[in-house]
Amino acid sequence: MIKAEHLTRMYGNRFAVNDLSFEVKRGEVMGLLGPNGAGKSTTMKMLTCFLPPSSGDASIDGLSLAESIKVRRLVGYLPEHAPSYHDLDVEAYLQFTGKMHGIPSATRKDKIGEMARACGLEQVLYRRIEELSKGYRQRVGLAASMLHDPQCLILDEPTTGLDPNQIIEIRHLIRRLGEQKTVLLSSHILPEVEAVCDRMMIIDKGELQALGTSDELSKQAQGGAFVLATVKGDANVLLTHLQTTLSDITIVNQETLPDGHTQIEISHPEPDCNLAEQLFLAAVAKDVVLLEIRNAQASLEDVFRELTGGKT
Amino acid sequence: MNVVMALCQKEWRIGLDTPQGYVVSIAFLLASGFFFGSSLFLNGQADMRHWFAVLPLLYIFFIPAMSMRLLADELHDGTYELLATMPTRTIDIVLGKYLSLLGHITFLLVLTGLYPLTLSLLGNLDSGTVMASFLGAWLLAALFAAIGLFASSLTSHAMIAYIVGLILLLVVFLMTQAAPTLPIFMQDWIVMLGPINHYQNMMRGVVSLADVMLFIGLTVIFLSLSWFALVRRRWR
Repeated sequence: MIKAEHLTRMYGNRFAVNDLSFEVKRGEVMGLLGPNGAGKSTTMKMLTCFLPPSSGDASIDGLSLAESIKVRRLVGYLPEHAPSYHDLDVEAYLQFTGKMHGIPSATRKDKIGEMARACGLEQVLYRRIEELSKGYRQRVGLAASMLHDPQCLILDEPTTGLDPNQIIEIRHLIRRLGEQKTVLLSSHILPEVEAVCDRMMIIDKGELQALGTSDELSKQAQGGAFVLATVKGDANVLLTHLQTTLSDITIVNQETLPDGHTQIEISHPEPDCNLAEQLFLAAVAKDVVLLEIRNAQASLEDVFRELTGGKT
Repeated sequence: MNVVMALCQKEWRIGLDTPQGYVVSIAFLLASGFFFGSSLFLNGQADMRHWFAVLPLLYIFFIPAMSMRLLADELHDGTYELLATMPTRTIDIVLGKYLSLLGHITFLLVLTGLYPLTLSLLGNLDSGTVMASFLGAWLLAALFAAIGLFASSLTSHAMIAYIVGLILLLVVFLMTQAAPTLPIFMQDWIVMLGPINHYQNMMRGVVSLADVMLFIGLTVIFLSLSWFALVRRRWR
């Protein structure tokens, strides 16, 4: 549905987006993650035909960005900070958006009603946008971006500046839309992307760092299996036995807790080696009691930091 | 064309049908009324030559005030990004904005049509000259509106747009005033291309195709420049 190929945009002689290629499938919700200034907004501005790419191209539903008027009909766009005309009331603003998209007057009224319901705007339909809270303005922007029933939604930080309740509402809304539409949304809030998106990509300094589901990204970052366990009894016997059955095991950490138990962290370079199972079998063989055993995963935060942090 | 109309309508609601819009309109009408009244009572003649001569000066101060927000505010508030990602061509945006401004000015000029009506009751008015002058005044306003819009396309601050517009219009106006002090070849150019010179031709009651074409040509040039300023912004 959205396919970017070697998308590049320069500001002066600085790369804002550098050789970015990715694909978002139809009906998928894709998250675009990155620290501030990573090129998220620039990428979206190119995909919505606002900024022409310096080189490379992208296509929406098979249409190249060069056919910009056709592409714009397919895309609904919510820019960062959800700009709108503050002097208009919500209804007039949606009317204007509808006319600009060429929605015939016969169906425009119904469409506006439908979108107002979907975005919870019925109460404020005749209030001036200036008087509305940030959360409502964001919803007005979202309603306007979907008014022409686009197949593809591009949302630039749709939840910034909202309070936790509003964030959850907007997330639900996006999730619901995602069932029928292709959605690309940017954010620097990780739990949000994890909660809403099917897949995500992480970009930094305009370059793609990683792309996949949150599980895939965690595995990729961790590069192996990783198990955490609490042992009652002699941990050393257990670990020695385990090392005979599985070579290449690394003992990441071994620590005696105040209550006399031992906490161990072990890892193995092969992610599919059933490390936890082996540990359990070893414990049974050596008559050692395991109080706790769990597969640890690198959190998305770790992945994010590893891919974007520290590299200045 | 629907897009252009939709934009026009929106401009009307947020630019003209607002306190700021009313203030500018009323101030323009008060100022023009003052100049009309003062020349009528001083000269005691049923003739509008003096008023038409002052009109360009009123334009210089009022038209940039009407045009300054048209594009500058969109660029400032980020709403231009919305407009530019709707299925509209940049030229449609320029035309929509321009036509709303031209509509506003035309409306004000139609209201000043009361002056010749009053005069024709008082004395014998040369209606042909007045009509030619109004046509000239409208064409001049159309050109100045395009210049004002161009100023608004250059910046994202309405105040700067006002000042740039004011300066551009002053240059156009003073060009004609300063012509006698300039070298001969430049005088020829100014007589040929100066909008005020052509406006003065029309004030004499003569409408020539050359005058009309000059106004239309210059207006198109400034609209194209506005278009170019908007397009270039995205490539930078």
